[in-house]
This record gives sequence, C-alpha cells and structure tokens, in this order.
Amino acid sequence: MSSALWLAVLASAAGTLLMRLLPLLWMRRRLERLDDGDDGLEAMPQWLGILGPLMIAAVLGVSLVPKTTDAISWLATAIGVAATLAVWWRLRSLGWPVAAGVAAYGVVVMVLG
Amino acid sequence: MSLQATHALSRPWLIGLREAVPLLGGYVPVAISFGLIAIQAGFSTWEAVIISTLVYAGASQFLFVGMVAAGAPLWLVVAMTLLINARHVVYAPNLAPWLTTSRWWPWLMHGLTDQVFALAHTRLPQMPASQRLGWFTGAALLAWASWIGGTALGAVAGEELTTRWPLLGEVMPFALPALFLVLVAPRFTNRRWSLALGSAIAIAALLTVTGLTNAAIPLAAACGALCFYLVKFGSTTRGNRDE
Repeated sequence: MSSALWLAVLASAAGTLLMRLLPLLWMRRRLERLDDGDDGLEAMPQWLGILGPLMIAAVLGVSLVPKTTDAISWLATAIGVAATLAVWWRLRSLGWPVAAGVAAYGVVVMVLG
Repeated sequence: MSLQATHALSRPWLIGLREAVPLLGGYVPVAISFGLIAIQAGFSTWEAVIISTLVYAGASQFLFVGMVAAGAPLWLVVAMTLLINARHVVYAPNLAPWLTTSRWWPWLMHGLTDQVFALAHTRLPQMPASQRLGWFTGAALLAWASWIGGTALGAVAGEELTTRWPLLGEVMPFALPALFLVLVAPRFTNRRWSLALGSAIAIAALLTVTGLTNAAIPLAAACGALCFYLVKFGSTTRGNRDE
C-alpha cells in the first residue's frame, strides 16, 4: 500500500473510533453533573433513549433480508424466525433460541435448496 | 445458587465470551468474504488484516476496499467510510448509564459494533456493576478476534472455503437475525413500542431489499422514532388510552 493509502486507513480508523468514543465522554460529563442519588437514565436525552432500541430493531430488519432473495431463502427466514421466537417464548434465554433458529433455517435451505 | 453458577459469576468475562458466541455465526462468514474481496482488490493478507483490526466496521470496510480498487479519490473514500459509520455516535451514550468509572471503557468503545451494542444494551442493565467491565471485555474481544481471524482466513483460503462449503456461508449468518430477534422481542411491551419497533424492522428490511443497505439503519430508526412520538400524540388526543 502507498503512504497515502495507509493514511486513508488510519484516518478511517481514527474517525470511526472517535465516533464511538467521544459520545461516551460527552454522556459521562452529563452524568457527572447529576447528584449521586439521581438515576443515571435521567441524564440521557429522551430521544436518545428511544433511538437505542430502535437502532437494534433496524439492524434486525437489515439482517433479516437474505443474501439471495429467492422464495426458498425467504421461506427459510420465516421458518427460522418462527423457530427462534418459539424457543425464546419457552425458555427466555439467549443461546438456545439462536441455535434453534439457525438449525431450522439450515434444514429448510438444505432440504429445499 | 449452584457451585458452577457461582464460579461463572466470579469470571464475568467468561459469561461475556459465552454470550457473544452467536455473533461468530454472522461475523466469521462475512469476515471471510471481506478477506477474499480485499485480496481480489489487490490488498495483501496483512493489509486486509490491519484494516479489519483498525477500522473494524463491516459495511464501511467493504466500501473502502471497493472504492480504492475502483480508483476513487482517497478523501472521498475516507468521507464515505465515516458517513456509513456515523450511526455509531448514538451507541455509547445509550450504554453510558450502566458503565462504571473505569478508565478502560473509552478504549473498549473500539469494539462497539452494531451487534455488540445490541447485546450490551440488553445485558448490561441486567448484571451487577462489578461484572459489567469484565463481561463487555469478554464479549467485545471475542467479536473483534473473530472478525480479524475471519479476515485472515478469507484472505488466505477464502476461495477454497467458499467452494468447498458453500452452505456454511449461507446458513451461519442467520445467527445474527436470530440473535437480534431475541434481543428485540422482550421490548414489545405495549402498543406504542410494538408499532415503533415493528415499523423500524419493516422499513429497514424494505430499504435493504431496494439496495439502500447503508442508509437503512439510521433511516429506519428515525422512522421508528417518528412512529413512537406520533402514537403518543394520537393517544394523548384520545385521553392516553394507549399508555
């Protein structure tokens, strides 16, 4: 890689790190201004607290779209989602629902693909 | 409490490692693809690995390599990379109320990807303050290591791997939507949140299908927030029946 390209990599890396790090420092200052007895959540602007879960929902929406958007992939996605939710509803845990979803998705892809 | 559970609680980083395992299903296949594409674009194995280590942001890395290979001006490459990653600015403040005063936290934010944020946003409030730093370190380091390792694997043997086990790369990434589903499902607590979350999921999927993957996350989240406030407005005018 040329020096200019290395600089571009470093600038992208530094910029990305700062976008992840600086908002934390800003929020920490807001929290420090509160009295010790106050709930830290009160220091967070309301819109920010709402945006957090919605960003996760949006990431879910993006990841639900299969790489190849054919009928089999969509069917596998639907069955994988159903299996994940069914196991989550029963166990309320993190690992098993994911394993069940991947297994159901894989079975559909292998049988029909 | 069982002896095994007590032992696990004394090592929160182990719990973090264990709970981040589902991320690997999504990270490793995508990292292998990145390693392969970087090599095809003219980067060496070490260069691909260094990009994954330092930038550590999936979509923007693909864009970076693609734009460089296409001969785009470097200032534009950097600007586009940062623009795609701009959504990350809302992640850390959302976690801040649950972070301790340790000086390690700012540096650990390097590992705050979409997926690690989703996991941490759900798990950190559920654990004692003394466990959080260890948990986050374990989860974030495993995710980071899998991304770097996957890139190296893809750069060295990506072509052979994708030819030999094509289904692996197709099936394992479903671990990511399955994990997000488990993280989002408990938040459907009332009509207002259900509508906001449901619309964010649907709009993000729709934008991705139409090819607007990079804009999908911030746009869908903004639309979800709009729904959240509109429902409040609607319920207020009807006497707060939905609250």
